[in-house]
Amino acid sequence: MYKVVVSFLGRDCPGIVHAVSSLMNELDCNIDEVSQTILHSEFAAIIIVDAPDSLPLETLHQKLEAGLAARKVDLNITTRLFDGASWGTGKTEPFVVSVDGPDRPGLIAGITGVFSRHKVNIENLKALMPGGARDGHALIVYEVALPEGVDPAVLRQELRVAAEAMNVRMSMQHRDIFEAVHRIQPV
Amino acid sequence: MLTDREVLSTLSMLRNEHLDVRTVTLGVSLFDCASDNFDTFADKVRAKIGTYAEKLVATCDEVGDKYGIPVVNKRISVSPMGVVCASFSPDQMVKACKVLDEAAKAAGVNFLGGFGALVEKGMTRGDRALIDSLPEALAVTDCVCSSINVASSRSGINMDAVALMGETIKTIADRTADRDGLGCAKLVVFANIPQDVPFMAGAYLGVGEPEVVINVGVSGPGVVKKAIDRAMERNPNRTLSDIAEVIKRTAFKVTRVGEIIGTEVAARLGLPFGVADLSLAPTPEIGDSVGEIFESMGLSSIGAPGSTAVLAMLNDAVKKGGAFASSHVGGLSGAFIPVSEDSSIAAAAASGALTMEKLEAMTSVCSVGLDMIAIPGDTSASTISGIIADEMAIGMINSKTTAVRIIPVPGKGVGDLVSFGGLLGEARIMKVPGGNAENFIRLGGRIPAPIHSLKN
Repeated sequence: MYKVVVSFLGRDCPGIVHAVSSLMNELDCNIDEVSQTILHSEFAAIIIVDAPDSLPLETLHQKLEAGLAARKVDLNITTRLFDGASWGTGKTEPFVVSVDGPDRPGLIAGITGVFSRHKVNIENLKALMPGGARDGHALIVYEVALPEGVDPAVLRQELRVAAEAMNVRMSMQHRDIFEAVHRIQPV
Repeated sequence: MLTDREVLSTLSMLRNEHLDVRTVTLGVSLFDCASDNFDTFADKVRAKIGTYAEKLVATCDEVGDKYGIPVVNKRISVSPMGVVCASFSPDQMVKACKVLDEAAKAAGVNFLGGFGALVEKGMTRGDRALIDSLPEALAVTDCVCSSINVASSRSGINMDAVALMGETIKTIADRTADRDGLGCAKLVVFANIPQDVPFMAGAYLGVGEPEVVINVGVSGPGVVKKAIDRAMERNPNRTLSDIAEVIKRTAFKVTRVGEIIGTEVAARLGLPFGVADLSLAPTPEIGDSVGEIFESMGLSSIGAPGSTAVLAMLNDAVKKGGAFASSHVGGLSGAFIPVSEDSSIAAAAASGALTMEKLEAMTSVCSVGLDMIAIPGDTSASTISGIIADEMAIGMINSKTTAVRIIPVPGKGVGDLVSFGGLLGEARIMKVPGGNAENFIRLGGRIPAPIHSLKN
């Protein structure tokens, strides 16, 4: 057995997940972990599977494409070997950075440049239009992991400068405050 | 992964609804600073407050930054100075008050509470010296607040102390006449004062409290009002049962914020966390008002018929929501209705919609009492004592905290505008109830504790 990471992207409709999972089952691939999301009408999923050694990566890819076509499911597929290596193993602190203001080109690039410089990893990113697309007001929420060596005050100041240059508001808060306010923690 | 609603709701509370931690208050016991030598006492007080408060402001700011929630006020509460300074003369008490004022300024806090006395059953020499020093002490200091407990459900009402406080309030007002009697805004007369209040002007650290402790006061009237408004917008057919639930849930959120910040400040300073005080404390800013909640609940303004019922429900729902959100609840925990500190309440009082009599009725169901009320400067001491006695009776009989913070503004009459500045706000001078209490107040003695105090 070896591990493979497979991603799927395409128009969302009922039956997609069944198509993918039943196909994996037919190919003797065991699904380890799945994450899926929907953005408007588009579906995306990333799956880590245990594939049999008798099914090389290239063959697996071809069989997945053929299998989905036979099920009349139109999804783009990417396959690659999964080695479990991570970008870093050091201690991190979870923060939430919210940026909001008039939508404009480069809004995400401007902020993520600061993250990139400080080696801050984005673990979840959402861009919302709280008032609907027409009012042109965007809210972008980054859930990020701050490495231990990064001073939150320095990062906050650089983010503030970047946000002001783009005429948007920025707040950076430890993730715990969102959980404390909205969730009852398990005991 | 956080949901959109969780992020949007938190940001909205912060940016549009004045969500903050109103105060982190460092309680410091000063009993071990007691000495009959003033210099020894002063050195010990400076050293002790200096040591424990050195990093208070910076730590609060750091933790506030971390969570993106401002800690608006950092304060200090100390042991009742009537006990700590029991051997001092009134002049020495004034000097002691200055020492506290300097220590507060050195620590960078905006108020220090505890220059007070507990006299519900009787008065020691030290207590008397402290009360006698108040006019001068509150005039020559900026940050020090005083609280005098003159009644309790266990002990009854010390009417000698009530009479003395009426006269003292008049003297304080005259001594600070150049500032519209501002000294009186730093003095509260209490029944059943809690030992762990973090809010000013009543904050002090009681005799049963630890050596040092962090108490936190949460707020959030703006958050509660907006939550009610949103709920009503979504469904105008909601009933008071629904609104009570909205208030409860909102109080839970607000209290969680105070709890997480208070516990982290305490941990960083290496001190125990005491209590969260679940009070709805307004500021003069629009949108940060308890009075506006009454309007959101269908009244023309606070003071209209129905106001006492609204306040009873609001106060209870805040406690129910907040109690579950905090490990230890204490202090006053309820809704404050300070007239000058709340623009909506001040406006209702100015228009005549809210009278002193209605305020008194409302204090029977909320957490404090007649708070930040400016009255005519020519109000007699006995009338002030009568007002205090009535308020103390409400507290004593109902086994709850009540208080009076009242300012007879020298040279001003009903309807005149008086501005105390900053958080203390501004208000028009209210009419006091008619009649004469002089002979009643002159009787002195004690009103005995009620029968239900005999619980053992």
